[in-house]
Order: sequence, then structure tokens, then C-alpha cells
Amino acid sequence: MNAELILFIVFALLALFASVMMVTRKNPVLSAVFLILNFFALAGLYLLLNAQFIAVVQIIVYAGAIMVLFLFVLMLLNQRSEEKILNGKKNLKIFAIIVSALVVFQLAYIIFYSKPSAGLAPELQKSVQAGTVEQIGHQLYTNYVLPFEAAGFLLLAATVGALILAKKKFE
Amino acid sequence: MNNIPIEYYLILSALMFAVGITGVLIRRNAIVVFMSIELMLNSANLSLVTFSSYLGNSIGQIFVFFVMTVAAAEAAVGLAIIIAIFRNKLNVNIDEINIFKW
Amino acid sequence: MDVSNIIESLKLIKPEIAVSASLILVLIFDLIFHKDKKLIPYVALLGLFATGYFVIHQFGTTGFGFATKSTFKAFGMVTVDSFGTFFKLLILISAVLVLFFSSFSDEIKKTTDRLGEYYVLIFGMILGMFLMVSATDFLLIYLSMELLSLSSYVLAGFTKLRDRNSEASLKYVIYGSVSSGLMLFGISIIYGLTGSTNLYVINSLIQSPQINVLALSFALILVMAGMGFKISAAPFHFWTPDVYEGSPITITAFLSVASKAAGFGLLIRFIKTGFAAMTLNNGYWMLNPIFDWKLIIVILAILTMTLGNFSALWQNNLKRMLAYSSIAHAGYLLLGLAVFSNQGIAAILIYFFVYMLMNLGAFLIVMLIADKLGSEDVDDYDGLGYTSPFLGISLAVFLVSLTGLPPTAGFIGKLYIFSALIDAKMFVVAVIGVLNSVVSLYYYIRVLKHMYLVKPKIQPVEIIPGLSQKFLVLLLVVPVLFFGIYFSPIVELAKNCVVLLGF
Repeated sequence: MNAELILFIVFALLALFASVMMVTRKNPVLSAVFLILNFFALAGLYLLLNAQFIAVVQIIVYAGAIMVLFLFVLMLLNQRSEEKILNGKKNLKIFAIIVSALVVFQLAYIIFYSKPSAGLAPELQKSVQAGTVEQIGHQLYTNYVLPFEAAGFLLLAATVGALILAKKKFE
Repeated sequence: MNNIPIEYYLILSALMFAVGITGVLIRRNAIVVFMSIELMLNSANLSLVTFSSYLGNSIGQIFVFFVMTVAAAEAAVGLAIIIAIFRNKLNVNIDEINIFKW
Repeated sequence: MDVSNIIESLKLIKPEIAVSASLILVLIFDLIFHKDKKLIPYVALLGLFATGYFVIHQFGTTGFGFATKSTFKAFGMVTVDSFGTFFKLLILISAVLVLFFSSFSDEIKKTTDRLGEYYVLIFGMILGMFLMVSATDFLLIYLSMELLSLSSYVLAGFTKLRDRNSEASLKYVIYGSVSSGLMLFGISIIYGLTGSTNLYVINSLIQSPQINVLALSFALILVMAGMGFKISAAPFHFWTPDVYEGSPITITAFLSVASKAAGFGLLIRFIKTGFAAMTLNNGYWMLNPIFDWKLIIVILAILTMTLGNFSALWQNNLKRMLAYSSIAHAGYLLLGLAVFSNQGIAAILIYFFVYMLMNLGAFLIVMLIADKLGSEDVDDYDGLGYTSPFLGISLAVFLVSLTGLPPTAGFIGKLYIFSALIDAKMFVVAVIGVLNSVVSLYYYIRVLKHMYLVKPKIQPVEIIPGLSQKFLVLLLVVPVLFFGIYFSPIVELAKNCVVLLGF
């Protein structure tokens, strides 16, 4: 057992625990807090994977911005806890369990019985370089300049849209 | 790094994805449904970063950057819609919003 | 990629640049002249015409834009070819028509305080669709789909006048986000298998025998969930009736035509660029046998057609009925794709052109009647054919065309689809398609029965459209009849636009 594996297990269990807790909490505010915990655990995993930039952005954007928005709306609407967390429809519950079990089995089967890592020899040097801010910034402004601009328009459309939907009356 | 087999990361990502789908299907509160969708996006992000790191090319991480942008925009629009509905009905349980058949 | 390469690429995306410039122009115009909103539709129209100029100029231009250095050949983010340009033209024409619809719609008139944002978001949708039909990289595919989706989520709930409006929006956003999440997971698996997101590179890499077929199939099914959502194909169609019924009718019309066209453009390009090895001399594609596309598409098509047609039978609300009918039409279009030949693609292009005219026409009439009547229920149409003969006859033409009967253009569309199927010796599928058309006859004719044969309980209202409204209706009725008789121009245009760059 080396330190890395221990770190991985800690973060992975934390992420999994937080996600299960998120789905099963009655109080939506608690759900949001567990989702933030999940995001922090993921940021740790990204660091283990040498993706420094993504790890930082995960904290700043996801945990810092998106989840604050969620919490803000939750507080604004002042939701009481649900008496029943589960959807009333029994068929839907069974369906949900079947679907998620199917997904897990299928993915596990694919991952274990078909050696995806064949030919994927880990190359430390390359993967360290791939995740730096410099590398990603360079790529964004050269090869990926069109998606970058498209993302800009996406944010503009979302801003305009959120504004007109949430505003009560326009002056 | 990379003493850890890639399968571990992928299994974690698959499990999180399944938890996210379950959340979308069974929860009644629309805001929690949105959180479950965020969880699904995050599990996809995890597998993208994993592949990116093991393949040693940065496309996956750039993809994740854009996914985060989209997730932020989607959350903003989705929550704005929820606020608009809440103004009319004071309720965000998707079961009780049923002019249409759900 | 250096600066000169980017500037070269910019020349290929002039229509997209024109759309984005118009978007910003409308936004700024709205901010400056926020007291007087009358001018905004004209600015928007001007932007669309400028875009149209660039789109028409783009016919015949081919090229790869924004090529990345990491790909071993100069395959880029976007591919410009006549196939994509045809879809862009289609999207643009329907956008112009929807703009005219919006100037008549009572629903939109009640929201003058937000009119500028309405047009901004329509431009957002157009930009997303333009990028969708030319994208050849998963990154751009994902982003453009999201740009289209986000703008349409907002527009679906735009008026906020009735409860059903916001609910349509909520359902749309939840179903849309889930399906894009599924698609994203699929993309991540494909990226893991190939190490690239470019469709051309993926095409060459998945031909190697080492590829993990099981994982790839699973990923492709997930990706199909995202694309199937956009074209509202059968297992992913649940959102369609509710969203179409709840949205403002102009947006419903736009979603049912343009958004579907963009989805089909993307799906066809994805399958051909990602999986075709080459096009044979007789026009049939040689697809990579790794994934049985033919089976999947045929099953989807039959499921979509049948579900759409049979659910439409029980609908009383005309908007909802047209929603199910648009699902059924997506099924016919998928049949054209299932042939996997250039002939099938030509049939799809012809069908889409015709479908645009007749579907927008039907929605226009429903809108004009709903504005006066305050209802879209078919029971309220009793006797309307006699009091408002102009609208009655026009609706009859559109509905007959949607059924696919001669001498309307709808017949030509169906004819080409079914003859492509028969050429490919897919007789059983063709028969199922024809039977479905027969079923659809019932619910289209039912509307006409209410308008002409059912005795009204109360004296029906007389609806006299204004001069400009009459002109707009004629603008759609005349081509539907004209192209039903003299259809060679569209057929020629479509046949020139079937070739996708690279194969």
C-alpha cells in the first residue's frame, strides 16, 4: 500500500459516500452540502490524476459558483423537507433500481472483461504536461478557439435567458 | 501517480453515474433532480480526466473545462425556470406540477 | 495552428459570423432603444437576410475549418460542404417565416417588454443549429447542441402567461439535461477508446481490430440518446408533446422544423463521418461493420412512426396532435436514413424542404385561429370551414400534404423516401411506412371533419385574416401545391447536396 493508493481510496470512498447521501437526504440543503463534499473529493482525485488546472477550476466553479447558486435558490424558496423522499410511483422506483443496476453491471463488465487499459501505458511525463494551465490555455486559444467562442455565446444566451425568466416585471 | 489501475477510476465514475441516474428518476424535488444531473455530468468529467491523464493528451481536460461552462449555464437557466414556477405555484415538486401528464 | 490558419478558417464560417453579429446587434439595439420596440423585428430580419446572403454564397464551397495540429491530417472542428449548407438554408428560411409569425402572434405581442430578448434567443438557437450541422468534433457537437437547447429552454417558457408555459420549460430542461448528460458519458467512453474527439480521426481509429466493440456500442447508444432527443425519436420523445403544447406557438413551429432539421443534419453527418469507409459507385455507403447502424435506425424509425401516429389519434388539442404528427414525421425521415445511400439522403433533404412548408403552414393557421378563438381544441373548430373559408381551405391543403396525398408536395416527399426504400429492397419496412401513413390519414381528416361536417352547437366565429396575414398564408400554400406538381427544382437541388466532404 503506497500513499497514493491510500489517498485514492480515501477520496473515492468520500465521493461515493457523498453522492449516495446527496440522493437520499430529505432536506435539500443537506443534499447540496453533500454534493459540495463530492466536488471536493473529485478535485482531490483530479490532483491525483495530474490535472491541476481542472482541480482548481472544479473548486472555484463547481463548489464555489454553481453550488452557491443552488444553495441561494434553496434558501430563497425556503423549501421544507420532504416527508417522503422517494417519488410516489412504485413502478418508477423499481424502474430506477433496474436501470441503475443495469448501468453499473454493464459498465463493470465492459471495464473488467475487455481490458480498456491495454496499450495505455501510463506516461508520467506526458500526463503531467497535459494538465498544466499553460498547456490548456495554449490549446484553448489556438486549436480550440471556435468552441471557446461558442461557449461565450452559450453563456450570453444563458445570461439573457435566466434574466428574463427570473425577473418579475420588465421596465 | 499511475500506480493505480485505470479501472478503479472508471468503476468509481460508473458508480457515480448510476447514483446520479437513480437520483434523477426517484427524487421529487426539482432542485434535487438538477443536483443529480450535476452528479451525472461530474461522473462523465471524472472519466474524461482519467482518460486524458492516462492517454497523456489534453483534449479530455479541455472538454471538462467546456462541460463546466455548460453546467454553470444549465444550472442558471434551470434554477431561473424553477423560480418562475415557484412564483405561480409555491411548489417545486415535480409530482404536483401536473397540468400535463408527467 | 497559427494565426493565418485561423483567419483562413474564418472565411469558411461567414454565415455563423453573420448570425453572431446579428445577435449582438439586436442585443445592443434593444438596450439603446428600449422605449421603442417596433424596430427590433426589422433589425432581426435584416440580420437574417445578411446571413442568407452568406449562406447562398456558400453553396459549392467546401473545406475543413479550424484544423487542429494534433490530428494527423488537416481535419477540423467544422466541415463546410453543400450538405450542411442546404440545412443552413432550411433553418434560415424557417427562421424568417417564424419571425413573420411572431409579428402576428398575440402571445408574443403580450410580451413586448421582453421582445428584444426573444429575438436574441432566436439568434442563439440559429447559431447553435448552424454549428450543429457543420460540426465534426465531439466538443463542438456538444457545445452547439447545448447552445441550441439552452436558448430553446428559455423560449419554451418565454411568455410565462400560463402555468403550462413554465411547466413546458421545466420538463424540457430536465429531459434535455439528462439526455445531454447521457450523451456526454458516451462521448467520454469514445474518447477513452480512441484518444480523440474528432470524427474523422475516430473513423480511422475504430477500423483497427483492437477496438473494444462492446464498450463502443454502449457509448454509441448513449450518444444516440442525445441526438434522438433532438430529433424526438421514439424512446427519447417523451418531452415533445408537452413542450410543443406548452410553448408559445411560434416557438413550437420553430422547434418542430428547424431544431429537428439541425438534429438530422448532425445525426447524418455523425454516422457518415464517423463510420462510413467510402461511398460506393451506386450511391450506397460502406459502413464500418463494428456497429449495426441499419438495425438500430430501422428499429428507431418504426418505433417512432408507430408511436407518433397512434398517439396522435386520441389528441383533442391541435397543437398536441401536431406534436405527435411531427414525431411520426421524424420516423419517416429516419426511414430515409436507414437506407444509408445518397439516394436516401436526397429523399431526406426533399422531405425536409416540403415538411418545413407544410408544418409551418399548419402551425400558422392554428395560431391565427387560436388568437381569435382562444382555443386549440378540435371541438371548437366545428363549422369553421364555412365561416372562415380562406383559413379552412388552407388548413385542408396543409393537412392533406402532411398525410402525403397527391397533388400536394407532401406526396412528393413520401414518394422519394419510399422509392429509396424499395430500391434498397427494404420492402417490409416500406410497407410498414405506408400503413403508418394510412393511420395518419385518420387524425388529419378528423380535423377537416370537424371544420366542415360537424354541426356546430353555437354559431362559429368568423375569422377574417388581415391582408399581410393572408399574404403569408399564401406564401406557404402556393409552394405546397406548386411543388406537388412541378418538383424538379427541389429534387435537383437536393441531389446536388448529398455529398459529404471526406467521402
